[in-house]
Amino acid sequence: MTAAARPDADEKLRGRVVFGADLEEAGMLWGVLVLSPVASGRVRSVDLREARARSGVVAIGASDVPSLVGGVTGDAERPPFPTETIAYPAQPLAAVAAPTLEEARQAARAVRLSIDPAPVVTDLDTVFPEWPGPGAGGSSRIAGHVRARKGDVDRALAGAETVVRETYRTSGIHQVALEPHACLATVRDGRWSVRTSTQSPFGVREDTASILGLPEATIDVDGAWVGGGFGGKGASLLEPYALLLAAASGRPVRLALTYREEFLLGRSTLPAVIRLETGVTDGRIVARRVRLLLDVGASLPGRDFATGYSIGFLLGPYLTPTFEVEGYAVRTHKSPFGPHRAPFAPQCAFALESHLDEVARAAGVDPVAFRAAHLWTTGATTPFGQTVGPFGLSAALEAARTRARRWRAEMPPGHGVGIGMGFWSTGTGAGGEVRVAISPRQLAIVQGEREIGSGSVAVGLGAVAALRTGLPSDRIRVDYRATSLAPFDSGVFGSRTTAVLGRAIDEALTALSAALAARLGTDGPVRLMVAGDELEAVDGTTRRPVRELLTAEERRAEGLVASGRYYGPGATIDESVVEEGTFYGYRDYTGAAHVAEVDVDRETGAVRVVRYAAFQDVGKLIDRASATAQVEGGVVMGLGTALTEEAIWTDDGRLANPGLLDYRIPTLAEIPPIEVEFLEGFEGAGPYGAKGLGEPPIIPVPATIAAAVRDACGAHLTELPLSPERVARALKLA
Amino acid sequence: MSERPLALTLNGRPLRAEAVPDAERLLDTLRWRLGLRGTKEGCRTGDCGACTVLVDGRGTLSCLTLAHEIDGAAVVTIEGIDDDSTGTVVREAFRDAGALQCGYCTPGFVMALTGLLKERGSAVPADALLDDLGGNLCRCTGYVAIARAAELARRRLG
Repeated sequence: MTAAARPDADEKLRGRVVFGADLEEAGMLWGVLVLSPVASGRVRSVDLREARARSGVVAIGASDVPSLVGGVTGDAERPPFPTETIAYPAQPLAAVAAPTLEEARQAARAVRLSIDPAPVVTDLDTVFPEWPGPGAGGSSRIAGHVRARKGDVDRALAGAETVVRETYRTSGIHQVALEPHACLATVRDGRWSVRTSTQSPFGVREDTASILGLPEATIDVDGAWVGGGFGGKGASLLEPYALLLAAASGRPVRLALTYREEFLLGRSTLPAVIRLETGVTDGRIVARRVRLLLDVGASLPGRDFATGYSIGFLLGPYLTPTFEVEGYAVRTHKSPFGPHRAPFAPQCAFALESHLDEVARAAGVDPVAFRAAHLWTTGATTPFGQTVGPFGLSAALEAARTRARRWRAEMPPGHGVGIGMGFWSTGTGAGGEVRVAISPRQLAIVQGEREIGSGSVAVGLGAVAALRTGLPSDRIRVDYRATSLAPFDSGVFGSRTTAVLGRAIDEALTALSAALAARLGTDGPVRLMVAGDELEAVDGTTRRPVRELLTAEERRAEGLVASGRYYGPGATIDESVVEEGTFYGYRDYTGAAHVAEVDVDRETGAVRVVRYAAFQDVGKLIDRASATAQVEGGVVMGLGTALTEEAIWTDDGRLANPGLLDYRIPTLAEIPPIEVEFLEGFEGAGPYGAKGLGEPPIIPVPATIAAAVRDACGAHLTELPLSPERVARALKLA
Repeated sequence: MSERPLALTLNGRPLRAEAVPDAERLLDTLRWRLGLRGTKEGCRTGDCGACTVLVDGRGTLSCLTLAHEIDGAAVVTIEGIDDDSTGTVVREAFRDAGALQCGYCTPGFVMALTGLLKERGSAVPADALLDDLGGNLCRCTGYVAIARAAELARRRLG
């Protein structure tokens, strides 16, 4: 396969791209965080004297923060260093900087910590062995509570022909971006500047301002190239510490996590317990009760978004007339919860798809036909009263069924074939802005995000501008600016970037066309065309080189500039079903159906994925190579969630496997052939009807593998990952 | 900690560095002493392959190699294969197969594949090639395109 090369390909292949971890500045110091040795406790003292006595060392703790930020007060709920309570393992208690990394590490070891350890809570089943009843809201362990209801679930379940109750458990998983978090901070003349590996420069600015108590206008965040994000680099993590060290030392400070620290401190997705109860009469779902306990670690009360966002994935994409959903965000002594590519949707899809499979079997109907009969289609109403827009999941399922039939006919005895589905909202709710700037030879898209690998910025924005203007890609350039110079954008997450900024580019190009028409003296629209080396503005028979339409000052600066913004309509839900908490609407539904063929070793329980196919609703395909790459990468990441990835905590709250040897992500050796097909025509809100694609491909994977394992050997698994031990245990029960 | 001079042939040129600590890793020598940051730091425990360089022609994890351990050896980094014929074929194969996304693992993969193809030639069986690349991790691509790139490079050299 040959495709148009990514604009960043050559520089990346020659190792010339500067990632956050590669940043260096003359005279910089190396920062190291001093981490709590316990998961829970009370700080008696943090003694920095011995560290400070070392030559060239700067050391800071909680008591130094107020003077470093000039007496302002940051968010009291999340100080950089705790003054009293240690809430999670490896929580930073102090920070040091020194001329070399080795000296900084030695200084960190010289910090004397005095801590009273306190009891540790790590396990959801210990916190709530039974479902928390009314009144649980008063527990300090609850960070959030959501509840919604439609109809009388008790009555509907009591009257159903068949009722299936099950409990599913999912594991904590790390993003494992290969580049650890890293940044370089400078504080000079009241300007707090940080260059950092982030999915959201504006998000880091807001977070840092809030944590330190500084006005956003004094903080400048410049993104570096990002060596993978997957949700883990969406909020600030190291930046406040690096800035404080820079303020204390008067020098630039580099702060990066070691890979072990990345596992300890990274904001990972944490375990959950999902209870599902579904009633069926005459082959139709009559009611479902959903109960979700989601471990959010040391997340702050009231700041949990995941529970209300996730719980809808345990109802849809299926018609469910009567339901009750209730979820608790449960605080434990773990690093605060963070999003991981399609936050919590793969886990929900695993539970719901496996459960519906069980429900169909209990009701004596074909599991795939049962799901097909309930699937949302375009125009359907969701449980939260939203209308489903163009939605290709039924078409994807049909394609998947055809493929599954063929594979089943071809497979040797002992193998199994399974189908799994998932849906996602590509969320154009979080808005953003761009500038376009036309100069004599090039069109620039000026914006504040950085490329994280998915291509949504470096490839996607240029592709949208090329489609819209008809200019060849070498005449379009994406410019990257710090937050002080860039138009606002929300961040590279939620499969939103190309869709939202693409719409903003549309608006900016329309404005640019109008500005050029005014200068040409025509009515517009004005087209841009290549003429030799130069660009020309063309309207009917009127054409002039862009150079001649620019003022002298514009030629010296960015060019003729036009702005565009897109703040998509927020999604609204039927609030009459909500009893407590915040639920989030979905927009721009997309879905995927996947098929896997597996071979299960009956002795060891090891699962080998023989081949895999993904059928993805994409709306409109803008760049096949990039889109295929997103699906392949998402599927393989999902294979990790399905089969091997599991963070393990000891009873005293330590992470037992903070390394790549013991936390196993997929390697080249385990990758099956993966076929990728796109369903077009179910158009979304992105440019030309495109739908976001960064997250949807990972969602159906654990469900698909579980269905194939069950088909192969009869083992019905209710816990992720589907490790050999769990499969072997389930085989004994099957 | 004692320090000694270090002599290497780096990307074809002789290099002498004074006062290199005994415990300094080749990765840190390259990245921070010599400023060659095309070689990436991932895990520092030998599990990810991002730091792969060639030492006397063989793919080597620079994070697990002490600089003094290879005193006198010929080291080639990603910066050293800009004009190399095998390196060029490998880069073009990665580009054409779409085998990179964030790019952080990319220099390690390019060095590992370049080393293998130089050492074993295009006659190396496709399976063996993929087995040997199995120590390099990538979290973005799902490896599918990387496997395609490896095969493309092998055929183009054949």
